Amino acid sequence: MSIAQTALVFAGIPILVIGVFAVLVFGPSELHQPNRYRPGKPWTYPPVWYIPRPVTDAGPATGHHAVEAPARPAIKAGAPAPTPNAVGGASGEW
Amino acid sequence: MSGDAKRSTELVADGPTAGRDDGSSPFNARQLARIDEALTLSSRETGLTFSLYVGELAEPTRATAEALFEKLATEADGAVLVAVSPGQRRLHIVTGEASAPRLPNRSCALAALGMRAAFASGDLTGGIVTGLRMLADAAGRP
Repeated sequence: MSIAQTALVFAGIPILVIGVFAVLVFGPSELHQPNRYRPGKPWTYPPVWYIPRPVTDAGPATGHHAVEAPARPAIKAGAPAPTPNAVGGASGEW
Repeated sequence: MSGDAKRSTELVADGPTAGRDDGSSPFNARQLARIDEALTLSSRETGLTFSLYVGELAEPTRATAEALFEKLATEADGAVLVAVSPGQRRLHIVTGEASAPRLPNRSCALAALGMRAAFASGDLTGGIVTGLRMLADAAGRP
């Protein structure tokens, strides 16, 4: 065997096999969740703040118009707090 | 730090591909649906108002989380804030005068422990859902 053939057999084939397994292992998750969180990665997304859906305890709708959910005002930045009352809770790091 | 709370219904209604590849949202539609369900169900079950903040918290993070909570507490009764900062690897659970009797610090610490375990393995949505579940179980029915 020439040197080129030796390199192809003993380096090329293992690299090919490793590549195939790498695609099989990491490919699907990259395809499904390209922006998945991993600890230690920087967080570049803007902050989000979710509150629960308001309870819509409207009975069976009469007539043809849809019953609208009661509007709840969005929380305004810098609104004066009448009772600044953070009492307890917990903290954690990971 | 943006001060406006978004209603989770608005975010879920964005469509199935929202936040998938454009990099604007850390959660895809399925994850948002899970978070929305956990928030809504735990709030409805307990009568408390659970709220979830995901994003950077300015130092000192605890004080920032408490400031966010106070903004929330002016709007909702029995508010509980779960603040997660994945970049800083911090999480804070804040309870107020109305919610603290139902959620003692020990229960909050247990929920935080469960969340930390999931976050450390990279499961952000799972940790959030687990934490809300544990908090709701600890608070019980009104």
